[in-house]
Amino acid sequence: MENSTLAKPGTKVVRVGPDGSAWIEGYRCQACGAVVTVATMACRSCTSRTPPAAFRATDHGKLFSWAVVHRSYPGIAVPFVSAIVDLDDGLSLKGTLRNVEANALRSGMPVVVVLDDAGGTHDKHGASYVGFHFVPEGAHA
Amino acid sequence: MTDVFIVGAGMIKFGRYPDRTYFQLGAEAALMALDDAGLGIKDVGAVYASSTFNAASMLGQKILQQIGQTGVPCINVSNACASGASAVREAFTGIKSGLYDIVLVVGAEKNPSGMLGGSPVDGPPPEGLFGSVTMPALFAEAGMVHTNAYGTTLEQFAQVAVKNHHHATMNPKAAYQKETPLDMVLASEMIAYPLTKLMCSANVDGAAALVLVSEKRARELGMARAVRIRGSAMASDVFEPRSPEMLEPNSVTRLAAARAYEMAGVGPEDLDLVELHDCFATAEILHYENLGLCAAGEAGRMISSGETALGGRIPVNVSGGLLSKGHPIGATGVANMIEIVEQLRGEVGARQVSGARIGMTHVLGFGGSSAAGVHIFEKA
Ligand SMILES: [Zn+2]
Repeated sequence: MENSTLAKPGTKVVRVGPDGSAWIEGYRCQACGAVVTVATMACRSCTSRTPPAAFRATDHGKLFSWAVVHRSYPGIAVPFVSAIVDLDDGLSLKGTLRNVEANALRSGMPVVVVLDDAGGTHDKHGASYVGFHFVPEGAHA
Repeated sequence: MTDVFIVGAGMIKFGRYPDRTYFQLGAEAALMALDDAGLGIKDVGAVYASSTFNAASMLGQKILQQIGQTGVPCINVSNACASGASAVREAFTGIKSGLYDIVLVVGAEKNPSGMLGGSPVDGPPPEGLFGSVTMPALFAEAGMVHTNAYGTTLEQFAQVAVKNHHHATMNPKAAYQKETPLDMVLASEMIAYPLTKLMCSANVDGAAALVLVSEKRARELGMARAVRIRGSAMASDVFEPRSPEMLEPNSVTRLAAARAYEMAGVGPEDLDLVELHDCFATAEILHYENLGLCAAGEAGRMISSGETALGGRIPVNVSGGLLSKGHPIGATGVANMIEIVEQLRGEVGARQVSGARIGMTHVLGFGGSSAAGVHIFEKA
Protein backbone atom coordinates (compact mmCIF):
# COMPACT_ATOMS: atom_id res chain seq x y z
CA MET A 1 0.00 0.00 0.00
CA GLU A 2 1.35 3.43 0.91
CA ASN A 3 3.99 2.37 3.41
CA SER A 4 6.83 1.79 0.98
CA THR A 5 10.10 3.13 2.24
CA LEU A 6 11.87 2.91 -1.12
CA ALA A 7 13.54 6.17 -2.09
CA LYS A 8 11.42 8.54 -4.23
CA PRO A 9 12.35 11.24 -6.72
CA GLY A 10 12.82 14.48 -4.83
CA THR A 11 12.37 16.71 -7.86
CA LYS A 12 10.89 16.42 -11.34
CA VAL A 13 14.02 15.44 -13.29
CA VAL A 14 15.11 12.61 -10.97
CA ARG A 15 14.16 9.00 -11.68
CA VAL A 16 14.62 6.09 -9.25
CA GLY A 17 14.78 2.51 -10.55
CA PRO A 18 13.31 -0.53 -8.77
CA ASP A 19 16.81 -1.43 -7.56
CA GLY A 20 17.21 1.99 -5.96
CA SER A 21 19.55 3.36 -8.63
CA ALA A 22 18.86 6.96 -9.57
CA TRP A 23 19.49 9.17 -12.58
CA ILE A 24 18.47 12.43 -14.25
CA GLU A 25 16.01 12.13 -17.12
CA GLY A 26 15.43 14.52 -20.01
CA TYR A 27 13.29 14.43 -23.14
CA ARG A 28 14.57 14.98 -26.68
CA CYS A 29 12.48 15.71 -29.77
CA GLN A 30 13.24 13.17 -32.50
CA ALA A 31 12.29 15.74 -35.17
CA CYS A 32 14.26 18.84 -34.16
CA GLY A 33 16.51 17.76 -31.29
CA ALA A 34 15.05 20.18 -28.74
CA VAL A 35 15.64 19.01 -25.16
CA VAL A 36 13.30 19.70 -22.24
CA THR A 37 13.00 18.61 -18.62
CA VAL A 38 9.40 17.34 -18.66
CA ALA A 39 7.25 15.07 -20.83
CA THR A 40 5.06 17.04 -23.22
CA MET A 41 2.30 16.00 -25.64
CA ALA A 42 4.07 17.54 -28.64
CA CYS A 43 7.42 19.26 -29.12
CA ARG A 44 7.20 22.75 -27.67
CA SER A 45 9.86 23.92 -30.12
CA CYS A 46 8.90 22.49 -33.55
CA THR A 47 5.35 21.31 -32.65
CA SER A 48 6.03 17.75 -33.87
CA ARG A 49 3.21 15.53 -32.60
CA THR A 50 5.66 12.76 -31.79
CA PRO A 51 6.29 13.32 -28.08
CA PRO A 52 9.94 14.00 -27.20
CA ALA A 53 11.57 10.75 -26.04
CA ALA A 54 12.98 10.18 -22.57
CA PHE A 55 16.75 9.78 -22.23
CA ARG A 56 19.11 9.25 -19.34
CA ALA A 57 21.16 12.42 -19.01
CA THR A 58 24.91 12.62 -18.62
CA ASP A 59 26.29 13.85 -15.31
CA HIS A 60 28.79 16.19 -16.96
CA GLY A 61 28.05 19.76 -17.91
CA LYS A 62 29.15 23.39 -17.88
CA LEU A 63 28.06 26.29 -15.69
CA PHE A 64 26.09 28.82 -17.75
CA SER A 65 24.93 31.38 -15.19
CA TRP A 66 24.30 31.71 -11.47
CA ALA A 67 23.15 33.81 -8.55
CA VAL A 68 24.86 33.88 -5.19
CA VAL A 69 21.82 33.91 -2.94
CA HIS A 70 22.26 35.80 0.33
CA ARG A 71 18.62 36.13 1.33
CA SER A 72 16.05 33.43 0.73
CA TYR A 73 12.85 32.26 2.38
CA PRO A 74 12.88 32.08 6.19
CA GLY A 75 14.79 29.05 7.44
CA ILE A 76 16.77 28.43 4.25
CA ALA A 77 20.52 28.36 4.88
CA VAL A 78 22.42 31.07 2.99
CA PRO A 79 24.56 31.87 1.16
CA PHE A 80 24.31 29.31 -1.61
CA VAL A 81 24.91 29.30 -5.35
CA SER A 82 21.83 28.89 -7.55
CA ALA A 83 23.28 27.59 -10.81
CA ILE A 84 22.10 27.07 -14.37
CA VAL A 85 24.04 24.20 -15.87
CA ASP A 86 24.06 22.98 -19.48
CA LEU A 87 24.67 19.23 -19.45
CA ASP A 88 26.87 18.01 -22.28
CA ASP A 89 24.02 16.13 -23.97
CA GLY A 90 21.69 19.12 -24.13
CA LEU A 91 19.61 19.17 -20.94
CA SER A 92 19.77 22.41 -18.95
CA LEU A 93 19.10 22.24 -15.21
CA LYS A 94 18.80 24.57 -12.28
CA GLY A 95 20.43 23.34 -9.10
CA THR A 96 22.61 24.26 -6.18
CA LEU A 97 26.34 24.38 -6.89
CA ARG A 98 28.38 23.38 -3.87
CA ASN A 99 32.07 23.24 -2.96
CA VAL A 100 33.00 26.44 -4.77
CA GLU A 101 33.97 29.96 -3.70
CA ALA A 102 31.83 32.74 -5.17
CA ASN A 103 34.86 34.46 -6.67
CA ALA A 104 35.87 31.25 -8.45
CA LEU A 105 32.63 31.02 -10.43
CA ARG A 106 33.16 31.25 -14.19
CA SER A 107 30.76 30.80 -17.07
CA GLY A 108 31.70 27.58 -18.85
CA MET A 109 33.43 25.95 -15.88
CA PRO A 110 33.00 22.15 -15.95
CA VAL A 111 30.68 20.77 -13.29
CA VAL A 112 29.39 17.34 -12.33
CA VAL A 113 25.92 16.27 -11.22
CA VAL A 114 25.88 14.50 -7.86
CA LEU A 115 22.73 12.61 -6.89
CA ASP A 116 22.06 13.05 -3.17
CA ASP A 117 19.52 12.53 -0.40
CA ALA A 118 17.64 15.79 -1.06
CA GLY A 119 18.62 17.40 2.20
CA GLY A 120 17.85 14.31 4.25
CA THR A 121 14.10 14.81 4.05
CA HIS A 122 11.57 11.97 4.23
CA ASP A 123 7.92 11.59 3.37
CA LYS A 124 5.34 10.75 6.03
CA HIS A 125 6.01 7.01 5.60
CA GLY A 126 9.72 7.41 6.15
CA ALA A 127 10.77 7.11 2.52
CA SER A 128 13.79 9.17 1.58
CA TYR A 129 13.97 11.43 -1.46
CA VAL A 130 16.64 11.47 -4.14
CA GLY A 131 17.81 14.92 -5.18
CA PHE A 132 20.89 16.30 -6.87
CA HIS A 133 23.41 19.09 -6.71
CA PHE A 134 26.40 20.21 -8.74
CA VAL A 135 30.07 20.36 -7.81
CA PRO A 136 32.98 21.68 -9.85
CA GLU A 137 34.64 18.89 -11.83
CA GLY A 138 37.46 17.47 -9.76
CA ALA A 139 35.95 18.70 -6.49
CA HIS A 140 34.09 15.53 -5.51
CA ALA A 141 33.28 14.99 -1.83
CA MET B 1 -10.32 50.68 -38.43
CA THR B 2 -10.42 53.54 -35.99
CA ASP B 3 -7.36 54.76 -34.17
CA VAL B 4 -7.49 54.41 -30.38
CA PHE B 5 -6.84 57.30 -28.01
CA ILE B 6 -6.29 57.66 -24.29
CA VAL B 7 -8.35 60.55 -22.94
CA GLY B 8 -8.31 59.86 -19.21
CA ALA B 9 -5.63 58.75 -16.76
CA GLY B 10 -5.63 58.37 -13.00
CA MET B 11 -3.53 56.64 -10.38
CA ILE B 12 -3.35 56.69 -6.63
CA LYS B 13 -0.08 57.26 -4.81
CA PHE B 14 1.60 53.87 -4.55
CA GLY B 15 2.28 52.58 -1.04
CA ARG B 16 0.83 50.36 1.64
CA TYR B 17 -2.93 50.54 2.26
CA PRO B 18 -3.59 48.05 5.06
CA ASP B 19 -7.06 49.47 5.78
CA ARG B 20 -8.41 49.48 2.21
CA THR B 21 -9.32 46.69 -0.21
CA TYR B 22 -7.84 46.26 -3.68
CA PHE B 23 -11.21 47.10 -5.25
CA GLN B 24 -11.52 50.30 -3.23
CA LEU B 25 -8.09 51.30 -4.53
CA GLY B 26 -9.17 50.38 -8.07
CA ALA B 27 -12.43 52.30 -7.76
CA GLU B 28 -10.57 55.42 -6.66
CA ALA B 29 -8.24 55.24 -9.67
CA ALA B 30 -11.19 54.55 -11.99
CA LEU B 31 -13.02 57.67 -10.81
CA MET B 32 -9.85 59.73 -11.22
CA ALA B 33 -9.46 58.55 -14.83
CA LEU B 34 -13.13 59.17 -15.65
CA ASP B 35 -12.96 62.65 -14.12
CA ASP B 36 -9.78 63.33 -16.10
CA ALA B 37 -11.64 62.38 -19.29
CA GLY B 38 -14.75 64.38 -18.39
CA LEU B 39 -16.82 61.19 -18.53
CA GLY B 40 -18.93 59.15 -16.14
CA ILE B 41 -19.22 55.42 -15.64
CA LYS B 42 -22.53 55.50 -17.61
CA ASP B 43 -20.54 56.50 -20.71
CA VAL B 44 -18.34 53.41 -20.54
CA GLY B 45 -19.09 50.50 -22.89
CA ALA B 46 -16.82 47.89 -21.35
CA VAL B 47 -14.43 47.43 -18.42
CA TYR B 48 -11.15 45.48 -18.37
CA ALA B 49 -9.70 45.01 -14.90
CA SER B 50 -6.21 43.66 -14.24
CA SER B 51 -4.78 42.08 -11.12
CA THR B 52 -2.24 39.30 -10.76
CA PHE B 53 -3.52 38.15 -7.40
CA ASN B 54 -7.18 39.23 -7.41
CA ALA B 55 -8.48 38.87 -10.98
CA ALA B 56 -10.20 35.61 -10.07
CA SER B 57 -12.30 37.41 -7.48
CA MET B 58 -14.05 39.51 -10.18
CA LEU B 59 -12.08 42.66 -9.47
CA GLY B 60 -13.82 44.69 -12.20
CA GLN B 61 -17.32 43.89 -10.97
CA LYS B 62 -16.30 44.74 -7.42
CA ILE B 63 -15.07 48.11 -8.69
CA LEU B 64 -18.41 48.64 -10.45
CA GLN B 65 -20.18 47.81 -7.17
CA GLN B 66 -18.29 50.80 -5.77
CA ILE B 67 -18.86 53.27 -8.61
CA GLY B 68 -21.99 52.15 -10.51
CA GLN B 69 -23.30 48.81 -11.79
CA THR B 70 -24.18 49.59 -15.39
CA GLY B 71 -24.27 46.01 -16.64
CA VAL B 72 -21.52 46.46 -19.24
CA PRO B 73 -19.18 43.62 -20.23
CA CYS B 74 -16.50 43.37 -17.55
CA ILE B 75 -13.44 41.19 -18.13
CA ASN B 76 -10.87 40.38 -15.46
CA VAL B 77 -7.32 39.82 -16.63
CA SER B 78 -4.43 38.06 -14.94
CA ASN B 79 -1.14 37.64 -16.82
CA ALA B 80 1.56 37.93 -14.15
CA CYS B 81 3.38 41.27 -14.29
CA ALA B 82 1.98 41.81 -17.80
CA SER B 83 -1.62 41.87 -16.52
CA GLY B 84 -2.10 45.61 -16.90
CA ALA B 85 -0.69 45.78 -20.41
CA SER B 86 -2.83 42.76 -21.33
CA ALA B 87 -5.98 44.56 -20.16
CA VAL B 88 -5.08 47.64 -22.19
CA ARG B 89 -4.34 45.49 -25.21
CA GLU B 90 -7.81 43.88 -24.93
CA ALA B 91 -9.45 47.29 -24.58
CA PHE B 92 -7.51 48.50 -27.63
CA THR B 93 -8.70 45.45 -29.58
CA GLY B 94 -12.30 46.05 -28.55
CA ILE B 95 -12.25 49.64 -29.77
CA LYS B 96 -10.34 48.79 -32.95
CA SER B 97 -12.96 46.18 -33.77
CA GLY B 98 -15.75 48.74 -33.51
CA LEU B 99 -17.47 46.93 -30.65
CA TYR B 100 -16.91 49.75 -28.15
CA ASP B 101 -16.37 53.52 -28.27
CA ILE B 102 -15.32 54.05 -24.66
CA VAL B 103 -13.53 51.50 -22.50
CA LEU B 104 -12.30 51.76 -18.92
CA VAL B 105 -9.15 49.85 -17.91
CA VAL B 106 -8.33 49.52 -14.21
CA GLY B 107 -5.34 47.77 -12.68
CA ALA B 108 -5.42 47.27 -8.92
CA GLU B 109 -3.28 45.22 -6.58
CA LYS B 110 -2.53 44.54 -3.00
CA ASN B 111 0.66 42.51 -3.16
CA PRO B 112 1.33 39.72 -0.69
CA SER B 113 4.16 40.75 1.62
CA GLY B 114 7.55 39.09 1.63
CA MET B 115 9.67 37.78 -1.18
CA LEU B 116 7.80 36.67 -4.28
CA GLY B 117 8.74 33.43 -5.98
CA GLY B 118 7.74 29.96 -7.05
CA SER B 119 5.14 27.69 -5.50
CA PRO B 120 5.79 24.47 -3.59
CA VAL B 121 5.86 21.10 -5.36
CA ASP B 122 5.72 17.47 -4.25
CA GLY B 123 8.78 16.33 -2.40
CA PRO B 124 11.10 18.40 -0.25
CA PRO B 125 10.81 22.19 -0.42
CA PRO B 126 13.02 23.04 -3.43
CA GLU B 127 14.42 26.37 -2.28
CA GLY B 128 18.12 26.01 -1.55
CA LEU B 129 18.17 22.30 -2.50
CA PHE B 130 17.72 22.90 -6.22
CA GLY B 131 19.00 26.44 -6.58
CA SER B 132 16.64 29.30 -5.85
CA VAL B 133 13.16 30.10 -7.12
CA THR B 134 13.03 33.60 -5.62
CA MET B 135 12.54 36.40 -8.12
CA PRO B 136 15.76 38.20 -7.09
CA ALA B 137 17.74 35.00 -7.78
CA LEU B 138 16.07 34.54 -11.17
CA PHE B 139 16.89 38.08 -12.24
CA ALA B 140 20.39 37.81 -10.80
CA GLU B 141 20.97 34.73 -12.96
CA ALA B 142 19.64 36.59 -16.01
CA GLY B 143 21.87 39.57 -15.23
CA MET B 144 24.97 37.43 -14.81
CA VAL B 145 24.53 36.31 -18.42
CA HIS B 146 25.10 39.93 -19.41
CA THR B 147 28.08 40.21 -17.09
CA ASN B 148 29.57 37.01 -18.48
CA ALA B 149 29.08 38.13 -22.08
CA TYR B 150 30.00 41.82 -21.82
CA GLY B 151 31.68 42.43 -18.48
CA THR B 152 28.79 44.46 -17.08
CA THR B 153 29.71 45.43 -13.52
CA LEU B 154 27.98 45.45 -10.16
CA GLU B 155 28.34 49.24 -10.18
CA GLN B 156 26.58 49.52 -13.54
CA PHE B 157 23.62 47.50 -12.29
CA ALA B 158 23.59 49.68 -9.16
CA GLN B 159 23.54 52.85 -11.26
CA VAL B 160 20.09 51.82 -12.51
CA ALA B 161 18.81 52.02 -8.93
CA VAL B 162 20.56 55.34 -8.34
CA LYS B 163 18.89 56.79 -11.44
CA ASN B 164 15.39 55.49 -10.84
CA HIS B 165 15.33 56.44 -7.18
CA HIS B 166 16.52 59.90 -8.20
CA HIS B 167 13.73 60.19 -10.77
CA ALA B 168 11.17 59.21 -8.13
CA THR B 169 12.13 62.19 -5.95
CA MET B 170 10.30 64.25 -8.58
CA ASN B 171 7.18 62.02 -8.59
CA PRO B 172 4.79 62.71 -5.70
CA LYS B 173 2.89 59.47 -6.47
CA ALA B 174 5.98 57.28 -6.15
CA ALA B 175 6.08 55.00 -3.12
CA TYR B 176 9.57 56.25 -2.23
CA GLN B 177 11.03 59.72 -2.80
CA LYS B 178 14.53 59.30 -1.54
CA GLU B 179 17.91 59.75 -3.18
CA THR B 180 20.03 56.59 -3.05
CA PRO B 181 23.63 57.42 -3.99
CA LEU B 182 25.79 54.65 -5.44
CA ASP B 183 27.50 53.84 -2.14
CA MET B 184 24.10 53.46 -0.46
CA VAL B 185 22.84 51.10 -3.16
CA LEU B 186 26.01 49.01 -2.94
CA ALA B 187 25.92 48.95 0.87
CA SER B 188 22.30 47.87 1.15
CA GLU B 189 21.63 44.23 1.99
CA MET B 190 22.89 41.79 -0.64
CA ILE B 191 19.89 39.70 -1.69
CA ALA B 192 21.21 37.70 -4.64
CA TYR B 193 24.47 38.89 -6.16
CA PRO B 194 24.55 41.24 -8.05
CA LEU B 195 21.23 42.50 -6.63
CA THR B 196 21.15 44.43 -3.37
CA LYS B 197 17.88 45.36 -1.70
CA LEU B 198 17.78 48.79 -3.32
CA MET B 199 18.11 47.10 -6.74
CA CYS B 200 14.84 45.18 -6.19
CA SER B 201 11.43 46.62 -6.96
CA ALA B 202 9.33 48.17 -4.23
CA ASN B 203 6.61 45.70 -3.24
CA VAL B 204 3.61 47.99 -2.63
CA ASP B 205 -0.13 48.35 -3.21
CA GLY B 206 -1.50 50.54 -5.95
CA ALA B 207 -4.11 51.20 -8.59
CA ALA B 208 -4.11 52.92 -11.97
CA ALA B 209 -6.79 53.48 -14.61
CA LEU B 210 -7.08 54.66 -18.20
CA VAL B 211 -10.00 55.63 -20.42
CA LEU B 212 -9.58 54.55 -24.05
CA VAL B 213 -11.83 55.87 -26.82
CA SER B 214 -12.33 55.68 -30.56
CA GLU B 215 -11.16 58.52 -32.80
CA LYS B 216 -14.75 59.72 -33.20
CA ARG B 217 -15.19 60.07 -29.45
CA ALA B 218 -11.76 61.61 -29.05
CA ARG B 219 -12.66 64.32 -31.51
CA GLU B 220 -15.96 64.98 -29.69
CA LEU B 221 -14.17 65.18 -26.34
CA GLY B 222 -11.35 67.36 -27.69
CA MET B 223 -7.91 66.31 -28.83
CA ALA B 224 -5.91 68.81 -26.77
CA ARG B 225 -4.88 66.25 -24.13
CA ALA B 226 -5.49 63.08 -26.15
CA VAL B 227 -2.72 60.52 -26.68
CA ARG B 228 -2.81 58.13 -29.64
CA ILE B 229 -1.88 54.47 -29.17
CA ARG B 230 0.30 53.84 -32.20
CA GLY B 231 1.44 50.36 -31.32
CA SER B 232 -0.07 47.73 -29.02
CA ALA B 233 1.69 44.38 -28.91
CA MET B 234 1.81 41.32 -26.71
CA ALA B 235 3.92 38.19 -26.96
CA SER B 236 4.11 34.87 -25.18
CA ASP B 237 7.42 33.12 -24.83
CA VAL B 238 8.88 31.06 -27.66
CA PHE B 239 11.05 27.99 -27.09
CA GLU B 240 14.33 28.76 -25.38
CA PRO B 241 16.52 25.77 -24.55
CA ARG B 242 17.11 26.74 -20.89
CA SER B 243 13.59 27.95 -20.16
CA PRO B 244 11.82 27.58 -17.79
CA GLU B 245 14.70 26.23 -15.67
CA MET B 246 16.14 29.67 -16.29
CA LEU B 247 14.17 32.89 -16.60
CA GLU B 248 14.39 34.07 -20.23
CA PRO B 249 13.25 37.70 -20.33
CA ASN B 250 14.89 38.60 -23.61
CA SER B 251 13.34 36.88 -26.62
CA VAL B 252 9.75 37.46 -25.48
CA THR B 253 10.46 41.17 -25.01
CA ARG B 254 12.18 41.38 -28.39
CA LEU B 255 9.20 39.73 -30.06
CA ALA B 256 6.69 42.13 -28.50
CA ALA B 257 8.90 45.13 -29.29
CA ALA B 258 9.29 44.14 -32.93
CA ARG B 259 5.52 43.87 -33.27
CA ALA B 260 4.94 47.22 -31.58
CA TYR B 261 7.53 49.02 -33.72
CA GLU B 262 6.03 47.52 -36.86
CA MET B 263 2.47 48.50 -35.94
CA ALA B 264 3.55 52.01 -34.96
CA GLY B 265 5.77 52.51 -38.00
CA VAL B 266 8.54 53.94 -35.85
CA GLY B 267 11.93 52.77 -34.61
CA PRO B 268 13.87 53.13 -31.37
CA GLU B 269 15.47 56.32 -32.69
CA ASP B 270 12.02 57.97 -32.72
CA LEU B 271 11.35 57.43 -29.01
CA ASP B 272 11.60 60.37 -26.62
CA LEU B 273 11.22 58.33 -23.44
CA VAL B 274 10.61 54.77 -22.24
CA GLU B 275 8.98 53.26 -19.16
CA LEU B 276 10.29 49.69 -19.03
CA HIS B 277 9.97 46.79 -16.59
CA ASP B 278 12.73 47.42 -14.05
CA CYS B 279 11.50 44.80 -11.60
CA PHE B 280 15.20 44.41 -10.77
CA ALA B 281 18.15 46.57 -11.80
CA THR B 282 19.55 43.77 -13.95
CA ALA B 283 16.31 43.68 -15.94
CA GLU B 284 16.60 47.33 -16.97
CA ILE B 285 20.06 46.69 -18.40
CA LEU B 286 18.81 43.70 -20.41
CA HIS B 287 15.80 45.59 -21.74
CA TYR B 288 17.85 48.51 -23.12
CA GLU B 289 19.08 46.01 -25.67
CA ASN B 290 15.85 44.03 -25.96
CA LEU B 291 13.93 47.20 -26.85
CA GLY B 292 16.61 48.32 -29.30
CA LEU B 293 17.63 51.41 -27.31
CA CYS B 294 21.26 50.41 -27.84
CA ALA B 295 23.28 47.72 -29.57
CA ALA B 296 24.10 44.36 -27.99
CA GLY B 297 26.64 44.77 -25.20
CA GLU B 298 26.17 48.56 -24.99
CA ALA B 299 23.74 48.67 -22.05
CA GLY B 300 26.41 49.00 -19.35
CA ARG B 301 27.98 51.93 -21.13
CA MET B 302 24.51 53.40 -21.69
CA ILE B 303 23.64 53.56 -17.98
CA SER B 304 27.11 54.80 -17.00
CA SER B 305 27.04 57.62 -19.54
CA GLY B 306 23.72 58.99 -18.28
CA GLU B 307 21.96 58.48 -21.62
CA THR B 308 18.90 57.03 -19.90
CA ALA B 309 18.64 59.62 -17.11
CA LEU B 310 16.32 62.60 -17.30
CA GLY B 311 18.07 65.05 -19.62
CA GLY B 312 19.87 62.24 -21.43
CA ARG B 313 19.43 60.96 -24.98
CA ILE B 314 16.58 58.56 -24.16
CA PRO B 315 15.29 58.90 -20.58
CA VAL B 316 14.12 55.59 -19.07
CA ASN B 317 11.80 55.22 -16.09
CA VAL B 318 11.48 58.91 -15.35
CA SER B 319 8.54 58.02 -13.08
CA GLY B 320 10.95 56.23 -10.74
CA GLY B 321 10.07 52.87 -12.24
CA LEU B 322 9.22 49.73 -10.36
CA LEU B 323 12.32 50.22 -8.23
CA SER B 324 11.04 53.40 -6.58
CA LYS B 325 7.58 54.38 -7.84
CA GLY B 326 6.66 50.82 -6.91
CA HIS B 327 5.39 47.57 -8.32
CA PRO B 328 1.76 46.76 -7.46
CA ILE B 329 1.96 43.90 -9.90
CA GLY B 330 -1.37 43.91 -11.75
CA ALA B 331 -1.48 47.71 -11.81
CA THR B 332 2.10 48.21 -12.99
CA GLY B 333 1.42 47.95 -16.73
CA VAL B 334 -1.33 50.56 -16.52
CA ALA B 335 0.73 52.87 -14.34
CA ASN B 336 3.69 52.98 -16.70
CA MET B 337 1.32 54.05 -19.49
CA ILE B 338 0.00 56.84 -17.28
CA GLU B 339 3.54 58.20 -16.95
CA ILE B 340 3.90 58.28 -20.73
CA VAL B 341 0.44 59.86 -21.22
CA GLU B 342 1.16 62.61 -18.70
CA GLN B 343 4.66 63.18 -20.13
CA LEU B 344 3.27 63.54 -23.66
CA ARG B 345 0.68 65.99 -22.33
CA GLY B 346 3.48 67.95 -20.63
CA GLU B 347 1.88 67.70 -17.19
CA VAL B 348 4.52 66.16 -14.93
CA GLY B 349 6.42 69.20 -13.66
CA ALA B 350 10.05 68.78 -12.56
CA ARG B 351 10.53 65.40 -14.25
CA GLN B 352 9.15 66.54 -17.63
CA VAL B 353 11.07 65.24 -20.66
CA SER B 354 11.15 68.39 -22.75
CA GLY B 355 9.50 68.11 -26.12
CA ALA B 356 8.34 64.55 -25.52
CA ARG B 357 6.23 63.42 -28.48
CA ILE B 358 6.59 59.61 -28.70
CA GLY B 359 6.94 57.24 -25.76
CA MET B 360 7.07 53.51 -25.13
CA THR B 361 5.98 51.25 -22.29
CA HIS B 362 7.13 47.68 -21.64
CA VAL B 363 6.23 45.01 -19.11
CA LEU B 364 7.45 41.47 -18.62
CA GLY B 365 5.38 38.89 -16.79
CA PHE B 366 6.96 35.70 -15.48
CA GLY B 367 5.49 32.74 -13.67
CA GLY B 368 7.30 29.70 -15.02
CA SER B 369 6.47 31.04 -18.48
CA SER B 370 6.51 34.56 -19.86
CA ALA B 371 4.38 37.35 -21.31
CA ALA B 372 5.59 40.67 -22.64
CA GLY B 373 3.64 43.78 -23.56
CA VAL B 374 5.01 46.75 -25.50
CA HIS B 375 2.98 49.86 -26.34
CA ILE B 376 3.96 52.97 -28.29
CA PHE B 377 2.17 56.28 -27.77
CA GLU B 378 2.16 59.61 -29.57
CA LYS B 379 0.80 63.00 -28.63
CA ALA B 380 -2.34 63.43 -30.74
ZN1 LIG C 1 10.89 19.38 -32.06
